[in-house]
Amino acid sequence: MLVLAVIGPYVAPFDPLAIDFRNRLAEPSLTHILGTDGSGRDVLSRILYGAKLTILSTVTVIATVLVFGCILGIFSAFVGGTVDNFLMRIADVWLGFPPLILALGFAAALGSSLEAAIMALIFSWWPTYARLSRMITVDILSKKFVASANALGVSTFRKVTHYVLPNAFDVLIIQVTLDISAVMLAISGLSFIGVGAQVPAPEWGAMIAEGRSFTSKGWWIVTFPGLAIFITAMSFNLIGDMLRRELDPTLITRQ
Amino acid sequence: MRYVLERIAFSLFALFILIFITFLLSHVVPGDPAIAAAGPNAGAEKIQLVRESMGLDKPFHVQFLVYGAKVLAGDFGTSWFTHQPIADDIMRELPPSLELVVMAMLINLLISFPIGLVAARYHGSNFDNAVRVVAIAGAGVPIFWTAILLQQKLAADWQLFPVAGRLSFANRDFEGATGFYILDSLVQMRLDVFADLMMHIFLPALALSLLFTAVGVRITRTAMISEFRKDYVVMARAKGASEARIMFRHVFRNGATPSLTVFGMQFGWMLGATVLVEEIFGRPGIGRYAIKAVTQSDIHAVVGVVLVVGLVFVISNMAIDIILYAINPRKTRED
Repeated sequence: MLVLAVIGPYVAPFDPLAIDFRNRLAEPSLTHILGTDGSGRDVLSRILYGAKLTILSTVTVIATVLVFGCILGIFSAFVGGTVDNFLMRIADVWLGFPPLILALGFAAALGSSLEAAIMALIFSWWPTYARLSRMITVDILSKKFVASANALGVSTFRKVTHYVLPNAFDVLIIQVTLDISAVMLAISGLSFIGVGAQVPAPEWGAMIAEGRSFTSKGWWIVTFPGLAIFITAMSFNLIGDMLRRELDPTLITRQ
Repeated sequence: MRYVLERIAFSLFALFILIFITFLLSHVVPGDPAIAAAGPNAGAEKIQLVRESMGLDKPFHVQFLVYGAKVLAGDFGTSWFTHQPIADDIMRELPPSLELVVMAMLINLLISFPIGLVAARYHGSNFDNAVRVVAIAGAGVPIFWTAILLQQKLAADWQLFPVAGRLSFANRDFEGATGFYILDSLVQMRLDVFADLMMHIFLPALALSLLFTAVGVRITRTAMISEFRKDYVVMARAKGASEARIMFRHVFRNGATPSLTVFGMQFGWMLGATVLVEEIFGRPGIGRYAIKAVTQSDIHAVVGVVLVVGLVFVISNMAIDIILYAINPRKTRED
């Protein structure tokens, strides 16, 4: 899928924004493999261009919450005490709120655009990583080798880069693959209801929103972008599950 | 008792955070509301006047306290597009949404528990593996997409269900005391209306529940698997208890509790996800209301929805936790 996102624009047979009213609502055929939409744009080309848009925004969200969440979580674990307690309580509460509705609020405040939707999701998603990285850090700090490192006067920075991050890597990578599908669904959902990417951008959710008025005349317009979201999200879920079975030590001890 | 008090204190804290977030959303993020309210042609003096009348010249914490007091008193402001108090709007839109979420939750539970239990019982079998893969894959389904496809196939093409709306045209005058029409129709013994409501709610509820059901199946399956491994199951088998008795009396009862916490959280998430479904099926509800508010850039109405969904979420989680504690105090404290 990542490969597709990169090469998508080069292999796409048509311009995703080119309007051709003579060919509107064309059924899937050899020229237009997945048909054309209500304005005669090639659905396959739009999906291929959309892959870049959708995946790039998803990666932006995940990368940002990963960095900020981990900084916050590791900081919280090192400081400990009241600050730690307070931060984690906030994360607890925040984590619980339905992300879609929270993002809708942020999008309403920031105005409707893909950037706003990305910002909104970053605001709603950070607690997962803050909690996770804090948990790992606390766990590692309680180990005996850290106690001996303390006795040797190892700096905090070195502890973070040499002890915490390498140990956290496995757990975080699992969480990231599992979250990619959730974030992608949220972005396309926000675009679908009109607060994310704006029509005529070839974002998959926005394409479905646009194709809705044609469901009875052209099933392919809505079906294929949705299938694209589904297949991508599903692949990341399956990869995440596979990684978890391979890497997650807690799973093995628990079973 | 101590646990219950702690749980209530945490919920109050959650409420505080909720109010703070919505305060940031409506007062801080959108820029200077005084300039927006005064209109595009207002001079500096006019803006200053508006700012004072709106209380925006006060320090940040005073503004927040004023806002918090208003929200707690149920005053969410007036909507720009319905010209009604937002609190009234939401009270009118909430019952149909809650009906939808409850129906979706029923579908979710009716699928998740039996499948999770059976898959766990035959852990490692082909059936179990199939369930696991389908559940993981199902967690990638876009809700709005399945909603459109179900509507097109089952309602428009095959005409098994009505395409849109909450009630048929013939029943458009139906009214009830609570606003929860499913309940009202039963109270009034209007079984025709009840059937009509059910036909309308089924597809949107199904579309809303699928993604959550996939997660629900996975959670119950995992919980039941770890329950089947416990010593008491071996003990029960050794004593010659029937497999059915082990499954339903022992494993199901103990394994269900941890999953209930997840279902409690899902309730709030589903309420949030109504924004993806209600508009498609033309049903009234807070999801559709929120979308209308966003497209009209009515920030206060959106924030009102965020507040109410958040409140429902906080309450449902607290209720689940307290119920679980009441059922089994010792187990809750262990967790």
